[in-house]
Amino acid sequence: MNTNEFLSLMKSRDATVFPPTATRDITLANNALQARRCAMFPVILSDLYKSASAINLGNGYIFGPTEVARGTRFPIPSIVEINVEMGGITTLRGKTIFGRNDLFWFAFDAFGTFYMLDNLTLRVLRKYDDPYRAMSDCLIAGKF
Amino acid sequence: MQMNQGAAEKRIADLGMDDLPLVQIRPVSHAVSPDWFKKYRELTHEFAQSLTDCVQELAFMNLPQDDFIDLIMGRRMPENLSVRFRVPLVWGGKLEIDNLFLCMTFPHAHNMDRFIIEQSGNDLIWMPNPAKKVYLPAHMMNGGDGGNATSDRLSQLAAQIASSRGME
Repeated sequence: MNTNEFLSLMKSRDATVFPPTATRDITLANNALQARRCAMFPVILSDLYKSASAINLGNGYIFGPTEVARGTRFPIPSIVEINVEMGGITTLRGKTIFGRNDLFWFAFDAFGTFYMLDNLTLRVLRKYDDPYRAMSDCLIAGKF
Repeated sequence: MQMNQGAAEKRIADLGMDDLPLVQIRPVSHAVSPDWFKKYRELTHEFAQSLTDCVQELAFMNLPQDDFIDLIMGRRMPENLSVRFRVPLVWGGKLEIDNLFLCMTFPHAHNMDRFIIEQSGNDLIWMPNPAKKVYLPAHMMNGGDGGNATSDRLSQLAAQIASSRGME
């Protein structure tokens, strides 16, 4: 699977794909994560952000490098904001949270391994070698 | 570090939910049935359909009329709304409507996750436990822009839908 195929698949499931992020914003977000000792973006995620700043399907979200405004509704926080808020949690050390739904959080580490985490205990429930599979699970589990 | 009630209430207030009731539970791991996710999905639809008795609270969420109807018909969860467990399944919660409540995903459900995660490792954990099926902080109940989505109009719609289901 590649970025376009992944986005097409998510759109076919009624996901909202927000407009692409500027390369500069991707770099700034990556630097901000690095400064907080979080894992930096894997290439696949950097590529995705060039096509979509964030993705939402039901209560499933892939966070983007910048906050996403959506009219009168509360904005979708940026990946940096999410990881700053969770900065003191030792279980997450070395990982970067990139997505959530009502039941799970999703993260990746510096080695490019992706994880499904319990949203309350942060216990690792599943490991993924395929980032697209992790992102699909994050969004599709959020569909009502 | 174990939180006392005062510390828990202060933290949840710092997270923007100063009127959210809390209940303390002992987080003992429970086995969850293999088909829990399928049952959870079905239950969330049933829960949404049961919200016809929460029109007042839903009105304060300023949902467009279509979103409101889709929600209480159990067809679609409107953007930025989440269904949460009062007691999570892994800590012995039941797959029952009484164990669920509705709130906004951002900032509230997200901040409730943070509140619970911050208590990791404690013997007792403070959990959000709103009085009603819908939680919206009092400071956000500032009304909407009226139009077709006023409380009275939504009450009429809810009554029509309940009536068509034979609930009256």
